[in-house]
Amino acid sequence: MTSAIRCEGLTKRYRGVTALDGLDLDVGPGQVFGFLGPNGAGKTTTMRILLGLVTPTAGRAWVNGRPAGDPDGLARIGAMIEEPAFYPWLTGRRNLEVLALSGPPLPGPPGQIGRMLAVAGLGAAADRKVSGYSQGMRQRLGLAAALMREPSLLLLDEPANGMDPAGIAEFRTLLRSLAGRGITVFLSSHLLAEVEQICDQVAVLRSGRLVEQGPVAGLATARARVRAVVDPADQPAALALLAPWAARPDGPDAVLVDRADGQAVTRALGQGGVWPHQVVLQRPALEEAFLSMTEGTAAVNDATAAR
Amino acid sequence: MRLLRAELAKLARPLTFGVAAAAALFCLLLAAGGTHNAMLGAQGAPRHLPSCAAEGVPAGPQCSRWRAAARAGLRQSEAEPAQVAGQLAPAAAGAEAAGLIASLPGALAMALLAGAHIGGEWSGRTMKSLLTQHGRRWQVLVAKLVSLWLAGLGLIAACWAALALAGPVLARVNHLPAPHQTIAHEFSLAGSQVARALLVLAFFAVIGLLAAVITRGAIGTIAATAGAIVAMLAVAALPGAGPWTPATWVASWMGFPAGLGSVTALPANFWSRFLGTGAPPGQLAGFAGLACLVAAGLAVAERIFRRADISG
Repeated sequence: MTSAIRCEGLTKRYRGVTALDGLDLDVGPGQVFGFLGPNGAGKTTTMRILLGLVTPTAGRAWVNGRPAGDPDGLARIGAMIEEPAFYPWLTGRRNLEVLALSGPPLPGPPGQIGRMLAVAGLGAAADRKVSGYSQGMRQRLGLAAALMREPSLLLLDEPANGMDPAGIAEFRTLLRSLAGRGITVFLSSHLLAEVEQICDQVAVLRSGRLVEQGPVAGLATARARVRAVVDPADQPAALALLAPWAARPDGPDAVLVDRADGQAVTRALGQGGVWPHQVVLQRPALEEAFLSMTEGTAAVNDATAAR
Repeated sequence: MRLLRAELAKLARPLTFGVAAAAALFCLLLAAGGTHNAMLGAQGAPRHLPSCAAEGVPAGPQCSRWRAAARAGLRQSEAEPAQVAGQLAPAAAGAEAAGLIASLPGALAMALLAGAHIGGEWSGRTMKSLLTQHGRRWQVLVAKLVSLWLAGLGLIAACWAALALAGPVLARVNHLPAPHQTIAHEFSLAGSQVARALLVLAFFAVIGLLAAVITRGAIGTIAATAGAIVAMLAVAALPGAGPWTPATWVASWMGFPAGLGSVTALPANFWSRFLGTGAPPGQLAGFAGLACLVAAGLAVAERIFRRADISG
């Protein structure tokens, strides 16, 4: 089956600053894919390249089997890049009508714009001028614009920005239902708790490079750690026995070991004559896993923030 | 055509209507000033030519030359009220409107519209939304250009409408004589000038388009377009540069008289008064020069825009 998104060695440099550094990515169809990374990691640049807004310095990308930016392929992509912008002197509905006129005719029976406004929860405010919209309402209008062509791929960059909790919950349900209908959702977000609930797969980007890709649960499991509770008197011996795993104390009577499995820890302690009271496998939340994968990027972020 | 309809829909905004209203008001004020000055000129003109002796001109050939020049001036003063009334006849006013919009006031209005309509897509960060709907950038550029050009035509229409409504009233208030010209003649005059103005408006629109793709912002577009127009007029005023500048091509193509004086009578344009009095390059050369500039400007704009990263 054709990948919804495929990138090979995608690189983008802006006046000597590398925004994207040889990104290889493969996103299968019909899933909600989380695209994570700290500010300046290259997420938005990747999305812009996929939409043909930015030309890569090197590498290639395909969307729905077509080269990225292919004008004929854009009709099958719905996108909301960063905070969506509209013509403030027009109403929400008129904005969508103008955007619809800018591309090929909308699919489906007449009234598609009204339906999408209702799906995005903007039915009541559709005929108000956009200049009076809140940020959350603009996000909803951006979502309606992204959905109006019934795309097979949705590219959403921080779509929940400015939405209230009820809006975020509605949005989560909507994305899952879209994925259920076979639409691929490529989502960048800083709301990691949301990503954890919505996404099937995630990729983590750091300084323009892919550092991890896989199922959400898999990422957390890969960073699982073992906590062994021992007698306080045995803690120094336990630390020495588990030194190959860079063990560290956790309180007066426990030892923490990163990236190890429970059996290996139990065996090492037992062979050294230290019998633990408990051995617990701890899986960090996605947020913790994300932070551990992207730590040390502050300097890079500062360098790229000016872009 | 769908894309052009979308661009025209975006132009239906308060700024466009404000610029059109300002253009109409400007035309009205000029017409009011022109008719008033024509009336004053006619009232102040001498009824009979004074003698050479009274003016201190020696008799003989010098006196004959002076009398011929004075007679011509007198005839012009006598004819001016009727001429102005003719310019402001409802159908003929189109020529006046085209002349004004195809000159400096129109160029500055087009700079404003280009800034809002084209440069504003960058400033307002809507360019990304537009290009994700329509990826063929050259078509986007052409739709922008054509819609801006149509907005320029709208400015002529607004000015024409204002003059057509107010002209007869101004002529009556200032006691100007009836122009005695046929409606066919009036329309022919207006049609010819409006048709010529189409190319000049396309030229102004291309300058705006080019400024937008280079500066990528509303303010930058307005400043660069206005700056280019003013620079063009300044270069044309340099000695020896005359026939080879875009400003003189505009004047030649529109048939603007060279070296107009100050605004004491109804002007046909706000362009040739900034140029020198040198020989114009001719209408065909004006047409060829402007047409080449429009084509070259569009090609350069397309090349820049095709390669530009949309990062805002």
